[in-house]
Amino acid sequence: MHSDRGTSRRVPTGLILGVVLVALAFTVRALSPAFAGWGLPDRAQDTITLALSVIIESAPFVFLGILLSTVVQVWLPHGFITRFLPRQPVLRRASISLLGMFFPVCECGNVPLARGFMVGGFTVPESITFLLAAPILNPVTIITTHQAFGFSDGILITRIVAGFVIANVIGWLYSRHPNPDSLLTRTFSASCAVPDAPGDEHLGHEGHGHAPGRRPGRIERSVDLFTRETAVIMPALFIGSLIAALTQVFVPRSVLLALGSNPVWSVLAMMALAFIVAVCSNVDAFFVLSFGSTFMPGGIASFLTFGAMIDVKMLALMRTTFTTRALVQITALVALMSAAAGLLVNYVA
Amino acid sequence: MWRKGTSRTAVPRQDRQHLSRRDKLAGYLAERWRGIGLSLVIVVATIWLGVTGQLGLYIHPRYFIFTTVMAVLGLAFVVASFIFRTPAAREPESEGSPSAGRRTLVLGGSALLLAVAAVTVLALPPATLTSATATQREVNSGGLDSEAAASDAAALVGNGDYERLSVKEWVSLLAQSEDPALYADKTAKITGFVLPDAADPENVFYVARFVVTCCAVDAQPIGVAVYQPGWQADYDTDDWVQVTGTFVSNPSVRSADTLAVLPTTIEPVDQPSDPYVY
Repeated sequence: MHSDRGTSRRVPTGLILGVVLVALAFTVRALSPAFAGWGLPDRAQDTITLALSVIIESAPFVFLGILLSTVVQVWLPHGFITRFLPRQPVLRRASISLLGMFFPVCECGNVPLARGFMVGGFTVPESITFLLAAPILNPVTIITTHQAFGFSDGILITRIVAGFVIANVIGWLYSRHPNPDSLLTRTFSASCAVPDAPGDEHLGHEGHGHAPGRRPGRIERSVDLFTRETAVIMPALFIGSLIAALTQVFVPRSVLLALGSNPVWSVLAMMALAFIVAVCSNVDAFFVLSFGSTFMPGGIASFLTFGAMIDVKMLALMRTTFTTRALVQITALVALMSAAAGLLVNYVA
Repeated sequence: MWRKGTSRTAVPRQDRQHLSRRDKLAGYLAERWRGIGLSLVIVVATIWLGVTGQLGLYIHPRYFIFTTVMAVLGLAFVVASFIFRTPAAREPESEGSPSAGRRTLVLGGSALLLAVAAVTVLALPPATLTSATATQREVNSGGLDSEAAASDAAALVGNGDYERLSVKEWVSLLAQSEDPALYADKTAKITGFVLPDAADPENVFYVARFVVTCCAVDAQPIGVAVYQPGWQADYDTDDWVQVTGTFVSNPSVRSADTLAVLPTTIEPVDQPSDPYVY
């Protein structure tokens, strides 16, 4: 950091410290069941189990998202991805909404990836388009949705088309915004402004964050990025999962299920369910399949469209990057268009 | 402990900026260790669950390999982050960033979150879901891919080996047909946890399991109704039992289930190592 002398000499100290901490964590984990038996009340216990299941399920995708984001920011040449995209804004966003085909990360992993894209030259509306489209327009989601529903009731087609349209319409709307950067949180704008990652070599100046005379290597920059991204994403993941778990434990699901056979209510109830269960878009088709007999197809289609883009956990994750105001707008827009898609299926199809 | 390890390297040698040393340290500690600390907690827990075969308490088996591999990779990054110290340098750069009070607050919040996470994730014993969640989600209202489950069940029925049918398979058979004649000569031997029937809790309980499609958060309770007046004297909700008996028209007038098992034996059993069904 400020004094560069001794960096290499201290490496072993840090490594040893890290290894000791990890070993300590493993020891605590391995020994603690022996001292357990503090019987928690069922609801508290279930809240923990549910929150933990979301975290354990999502964390690998978050790590994968951060790693891919690191590849984009540190290992690929600057502008590598933007180079292949059309320049015309509408076509450009349309192409971006298909990028998920090459980055089949779950939606939680998309947040760090989208952050990486923004640092790497995407505009704010473009990254919103990516963030909304990628959970639906990716091979894993399409395959699992097809496995679950085939082509019955137009559910698969509705999901794909609605995902594409919603992401592009919202991207277009925000491209009309006079100052799209104001949609970002201050902290994230600041980190975009620090050209620490991709610009370094090309612009030929020293990164701001580093002492003169020493430029960190790629591995070091990757680890640095991991540290900074997890500092932002992991708290959001933990808090979002806790909120999702609390909602699960305290809001009876039967209330929602009672609404299943009405064309309008089935759509709204399924969107509410999607919002609170926060299942990954890769597998939500299997989850919602079990409601197929209770709910009308439009409700299912809305669930699959809305839930992939927005839910409690995603909002917590997206809040790391976007202002609350922007998220309220995006959520409202996605909800309205998803509901429209569902109603269309219920009344027309 | 993580604080002790870092403070030595964190404090700038001399104050070059208007922010006080303490504020910078607060901001630095939060930014530098919050994500790494939480990642460490979750990767250690994941790897431990994987090694001890308990990941199934939280996620579907199809994710076991991916989750474990990513956790090991995450662990490598966590350890590597202890080697490099560059992130420290970035913090004092952010001029016009949060005020001193805000920084201290952020550090306090981060430390609290990390402490809570460490205790709940690393110190509490892993647990399966309880009936508290089951009562929030209507029994047999979903969770089964009924066609696939029914064809599995049909295959087993073909063998005539009814005692091998699980809760899941009986539930999917019952979803196909509730004709008492079909079940008259068949003995069920099923294992699950005790879940009172909301409509008639004195006389009927379910031998229940959770069906998981992705992770425990989407668990749906399924169950076979058992008619046993006064069962509460012998069993508690959430006890794991093995029930043997035959199907009859449900004598309970309030219960919504047409058929119920009239038990010949109810034996307490240990919770299976894989409590969920998929």
